[in-house]
Amino acid sequence: MSIGIGGAGSKLASMLDHGTCTIVNVSDVELNKVEASTKIRAVIHSHRGQYRGSRKSPELGRTAFASVSDKMLELIQGQILFSSTGGGTGNGLSSELLESLSGMRNVPTLDKTTFAFVLPYPDREATEFVDNTIEFLGGPLSMAIDGGNTGNIILFSNREKFLRKLPEAEYNALLIDSLERFLAIPDKGAEHHLLDGHIDYEDFSLYQSRPYFNHFTQFVYDPQLPFAQQLTSNYNPLLLPPAAAIEALFLLEVPDPHQTPAFYQVLDHFAKEGVAPVYSVVHNPTLSEPLMTLSILYSRKPLELVEDFTSISEKSKRTRLEKSLDQHVTLARLDVDLEGEAKKLATKRGDNGEEIIATLKRLGKL
Amino acid sequence: MAIYSGSEGMIDLFEQQTSQLKQSHFLILYWVTQAEDRGVRYNITNVFDDLKALGITRTKQNAVAYVETLAALCFIQVRDESNRKNLYITTHGARALKTLLTSRNFSYQPSTFLEAAS
Repeated sequence: MSIGIGGAGSKLASMLDHGTCTIVNVSDVELNKVEASTKIRAVIHSHRGQYRGSRKSPELGRTAFASVSDKMLELIQGQILFSSTGGGTGNGLSSELLESLSGMRNVPTLDKTTFAFVLPYPDREATEFVDNTIEFLGGPLSMAIDGGNTGNIILFSNREKFLRKLPEAEYNALLIDSLERFLAIPDKGAEHHLLDGHIDYEDFSLYQSRPYFNHFTQFVYDPQLPFAQQLTSNYNPLLLPPAAAIEALFLLEVPDPHQTPAFYQVLDHFAKEGVAPVYSVVHNPTLSEPLMTLSILYSRKPLELVEDFTSISEKSKRTRLEKSLDQHVTLARLDVDLEGEAKKLATKRGDNGEEIIATLKRLGKL
Repeated sequence: MAIYSGSEGMIDLFEQQTSQLKQSHFLILYWVTQAEDRGVRYNITNVFDDLKALGITRTKQNAVAYVETLAALCFIQVRDESNRKNLYITTHGARALKTLLTSRNFSYQPSTFLEAAS
């Protein structure tokens, strides 16, 4: 079962499994747009009714959390949660969730939640989205990582969506497809003939419960080429690029059982980094070439992520500022003698101060 | 420039008094002067009608208050003539009006009564 928070999160959760997913939103309109088995409306106190979202304000999402906190903390146990970091509802509710989790003592391994966040592409998306994300990464996410009470954290990026100019639904489908390929690893192990290693469902759940960033990818594997080279050229473009691996997991599907020893090269690569991956090699006769599905767990200080975002955000702000300076036009200074103009107007109307003074003198009052 | 030929304290008082006058006070002083110049009698009811026509006030009490203020400051004199309270500018009022003309940016507006009378 998956859980989607906010507009973007709900769409992804519904796409992964609309039959069993739960979506949470502050807006009735948004809840009605998405197909889901359970819909939860988080309450915000609005005199206009809850027909509008949180309008990019995470504060509204945070306020709404109080009404659903107990239910959500129970619901997310052992599930995958989707949310965006740029908007109001997703960011606000997820922030509160992460902060609540980081304050807990010890979450049992199998109850840990996998968080999938969609990060904006700073070059193309609104400043509010980027600023909200910067606050999210530096605050709640940083606390959650220190707390160690989350499962894997998946950081999707909208970068590819803008670079490839994809419609949102199509891009979401890509994200879900990519995730499903990773989630299918234990199923494939069970489905195909096992040649070496073994990843069962328990191994996979344990791997998912590690509180690190998860970068997963899938590519056609050529045993003749160095693995490191293949890996770097096949990072998943839908995710933020990974840092050095802490743990790794891979499934190698080979069309010919004689290709089985190819996986040793992968083990050698990770051994150099001091990592012993969990792996499985299976025989998949439907393939024409070996297929590698790989996941790397890595850790990056949220501060570094924030710096990445901040530098891009600052660059675009600077560009905007330069543009606004270019557009600045110096207006010619107009010196208007207001007193003179008033006198002219008064004279034109036949009334002026001097005339009145003359009248007062004539009356003998001055 | 000394406007008032009294002692320094009196000058201060005069400046303070004139500085607090409003557009409606200015207009009354202006209309009273014009009326006196034209030989037309101008009374409190005329003041009320003119201020009302310009949308400055809707109540006679306000018009009376403006007139009483100016009378209390000795800028105008209210004389009971033929059952009417006619208004006349005093020398102090003339100096006040001169001060307002030179120092403040009040707008001249015509008196409906005087326009009809001329």
